Amino acid sequence: MWRRVYIVFAKEVMDNARDRRSLLVALIYPMLGPALLGVMISMVSSVLSAGNSENRMDLHVAGAANGPQLTAYLESRNIAIRPAGGDPELAVKNGQAEVVLIIPDDFSRRFDEKRTAEIKIIADSSRLPGLFALNRLAGVLGEFNRQVWEKRLSVLGVDFMGLRPLDIHSVNVAAGISAIDILMFMVPPLIIFNIFMGGVYLAIDTTSGERERGSLEPLLINPVERWGLMLGKFLAALLFTGVAVAVQLAAFKAIFDMMGSPGSSFVNSLDARAVAGIMVSALPLMMLAVGVQFIIATVTRSFKEAQTYLGLLPLVPAMPGLVLVFSPVEAEGWMMTIPTFSQTLLFGQFVRGEAVSMLNVAISTSATTLVALVLVAIAAGLYEREKLIFGG
Amino acid sequence: MIQVENLRKSFNTVIALDGVGFTAPDGHVTGLIGPNGAGKTTALRIIYTVMRPDSGTATVDGLNTVHDRRQVQKRIGVLPDSRGLYPRLTAREHVRYYGRLHGLNGAGLEGRIDELIGILGMEEFADRRAGGFSKGQVRKVALARALVHRPQNLLLDEPTNGLDIASSRAVHALIREIRDQGRCVLFCSHIMQEVAAICDSIVVISKGRVAARGTPGELLELTGKEDLEEMFLAVTGGASGSGEQ
Repeated sequence: MWRRVYIVFAKEVMDNARDRRSLLVALIYPMLGPALLGVMISMVSSVLSAGNSENRMDLHVAGAANGPQLTAYLESRNIAIRPAGGDPELAVKNGQAEVVLIIPDDFSRRFDEKRTAEIKIIADSSRLPGLFALNRLAGVLGEFNRQVWEKRLSVLGVDFMGLRPLDIHSVNVAAGISAIDILMFMVPPLIIFNIFMGGVYLAIDTTSGERERGSLEPLLINPVERWGLMLGKFLAALLFTGVAVAVQLAAFKAIFDMMGSPGSSFVNSLDARAVAGIMVSALPLMMLAVGVQFIIATVTRSFKEAQTYLGLLPLVPAMPGLVLVFSPVEAEGWMMTIPTFSQTLLFGQFVRGEAVSMLNVAISTSATTLVALVLVAIAAGLYEREKLIFGG
Repeated sequence: MIQVENLRKSFNTVIALDGVGFTAPDGHVTGLIGPNGAGKTTALRIIYTVMRPDSGTATVDGLNTVHDRRQVQKRIGVLPDSRGLYPRLTAREHVRYYGRLHGLNGAGLEGRIDELIGILGMEEFADRRAGGFSKGQVRKVALARALVHRPQNLLLDEPTNGLDIASSRAVHALIREIRDQGRCVLFCSHIMQEVAAICDSIVVISKGRVAARGTPGELLELTGKEDLEEMFLAVTGGASGSGEQ
């Protein structure tokens, strides 16, 4: 019997390896998630670099010559002064400049007279880079204000510190983790989505597709147990899913290596250990995914109907992961019993290079395998039904 | 040899078979004819193991089609009504796939495939993918894969439908040859000329029952008609059922 299971498996692999659609789903689609993430990383890092005081920031200033004291201070704070073109408001609106600082003609005179000198900032807070730049500029100007204030008060013999009821030190607990690393949380849901997507075309093609082509009935007349036919097809779909996940992990690794700046946790993430860990904990979920696909493809009447249901399927298991992007939780034992959720947590730990509890991996793997086996048994049971040749 | 006794099968409220019984002996071509929806396909499906009867039995070489399913499947070659191919596999690969599922392999299998390609005149398209095959080419491939394991019993549902004259004749010759080797052929057709030409005996099914049986000569004599078409209309009352699925 196992020889025949292999014959069915080998036929389905060969057949689908010749199918552009199956290959597209297994080899090209998995790269879309990593590519999307790569684009997001490069966008976010360019935005963040504007807000980072260690990086030099370009500031467009209209009337820079009117306030040499101020521009000198700005330059000392790692801000490069650039002349602002014609209409500052239009330049900001069109995104040609993040913010524009306008220094009026009478600035120097008022400043030297120790009077309040007016300046104007043009910014567009609806754009993230604009917001970051505005934030940084406001911080630097606040410092300038305070320094001048302190200087003027000390001349009058007033203790400046006594006039400062609050001395604010904010501590960022994200120390050591750059904001880009938050995007790492996108990786698990993308893998889960891919697990439920990778073999889907093959699952439909070998069941509803085979029925619709009229090749299922003659196949069933061969001296092979029906569960054997189902198993051969199942294993072929499982292989395509595994290939899709492997391609995706390779693409993630390539993107991380390309995007990660030295010192970022990206460069070291997804080493051989992490990849092996993800593949091992993903395998039971792949079985579960293909099991669900086979059940749906067997009970639906047509290729199109199966495609409708199975096209939406990957979104459901990816959902918990998407929620975790915004509110991460600590992995606990009971969570490991929930298929897809446990893998989301484990993938996250592997990707971020955190310590992963082997007990958690064992619980997740065995719980999901158990569910997967039940699903495979149900699918095999559906293959035994007389209705198989008609669908429904 | 195929023996069918008192087969009954219904789908929800529709009675497809209402006590059908007949025998298709070895060394004989038995024609199974009847109007659309008479229950022919359902009877064949029970014999070739993809359906179970509600009651009654079907046996192939004495083996029960429900209880000895695997053994029966080894002894039958079937050209079912639905005979789709895999568009991305070549004709040769189709035959090889079925041959391997029947436990054949190596030079023996390859030799048998070449033999069938020769017999059915498939040389021209044997190594082409089935995606663009004509109806006749599809039929030949389906026939070749049904014959690859040299089955003792052959069940053919309209084997020449869609074939040109030369190919039809080749199939007829093949059926006679198989019969002369002492094997059993059960044959469904709507073409009375074909039935008259190759069937040794005929079973007429109508409304889920056997309406008449005998050699073509006996049936003509029984109904007093001059040709099989007239006989067929007389026996079935021009009926066209609706029970077939």
